[in-house]
Amino acid sequence: MAKWGMVIDLNKCTGCAECVAACKTENNIAIVGKEQSEMGRTMLWMDILTLYEGKYPDVKVRYLPRPCLHCDNPPCIKVCPVRATYKNEEGIIAQVFPQCIGCRYCMAACPYTVKCFNWTAPDWPDEMAAALNPDVSARPAGIVEKCTFCIHRLQKAKEQAAVEKRDIRPGEYLPACAESCPTRAISFGDLDDPKSEVSGLIRSPRMFRLLEEIGTEPKVYYLSESE
Amino acid sequence: MVSRRKFYLFLFVFLLFLGIVVWAQKNFQPVQYNHKLHVEDAGLSCTDCHVNVETHERASIPNIAVCGDCHDDPETDNAEIKKVVSYVQEESRIPWQTVHRVRDYAYFSHRRHVTLGQLECETCHGNVSARELPFEKPYVEINMSWCIDCHEQRAVTTDCYACHR
Repeated sequence: MAKWGMVIDLNKCTGCAECVAACKTENNIAIVGKEQSEMGRTMLWMDILTLYEGKYPDVKVRYLPRPCLHCDNPPCIKVCPVRATYKNEEGIIAQVFPQCIGCRYCMAACPYTVKCFNWTAPDWPDEMAAALNPDVSARPAGIVEKCTFCIHRLQKAKEQAAVEKRDIRPGEYLPACAESCPTRAISFGDLDDPKSEVSGLIRSPRMFRLLEEIGTEPKVYYLSESE
Repeated sequence: MVSRRKFYLFLFVFLLFLGIVVWAQKNFQPVQYNHKLHVEDAGLSCTDCHVNVETHERASIPNIAVCGDCHDDPETDNAEIKKVVSYVQEESRIPWQTVHRVRDYAYFSHRRHVTLGQLECETCHGNVSARELPFEKPYVEINMSWCIDCHEQRAVTTDCYACHR
């Protein structure tokens, strides 16, 4: 059984936000508009955290793409009263939208603030509504959403592999962010396979994980920026 | 006298309602398609018309491209075949009403169930080959308990993320 994980190389990341755009379009994530956005209701499953270091004119800007970290020991699933969020066999932290009652306990529990609450019913301009991804549901208002590691792509990849009577090939299943990254900063694969690209990358001395000290064991790893 | 008038009024409303129901049922689908005739007399199998069943997510409902293979002769006494032929000749799609719908948050693939799971069409769609009228409603109400019961009986995964998305 695969254990899916991601490695983000901050040396390669230019902060272009292509991953954010790809994620938004792939997953039919609501565009909330200026008014809602100013109330802190922007919806992003993949966000880019920006860190400013130093003082003008010697300012250094660092970018850190942050999807759901799919922790091996996730605090969010322990507080969900309806098992709408849980860890599946392959280590993906599921968010089952029709099961969610919108209590937002998981949002409070997540130390990385990756989850967002859907305040508004899905409503796209006609031109955009025709371009929605049919493989991903349009979530109703009143539920919590987050990155699913593009689970719909895994469902299809598994089916294709089963029809051809083989295992999923490396690179056959990639979330939209990893596929779209122009600098290939985001790698994705099976952490349980010692030969996979991600398994090799996490052995790097540059490897770190966010808030490692709290014991959440994220499956999204970072490779720190060289000085 | 008043009660008799009321009775007739009630009877009139009831018969009108019944008439509307019968008319609506008869006209729900644009053509009164007969599965039984196609299976028994024409010797067709499900996949001859629903061509994508074994290879795609959606089974595909046949339209003029498939129907037109056989129904191209307007010389017929059958009013329903005439309708089909006129659709074919006018090259306008037959406006079939979709009856079987899966919610957008569930991934249902025919290929996964028919090709990989080796399920018969009848398991979910009933004895279609005996139907003389087109579908007005699904054979089974498509809901999660129906899916899960079958998955448990056949010891297939019941992980939410096998289907939910």
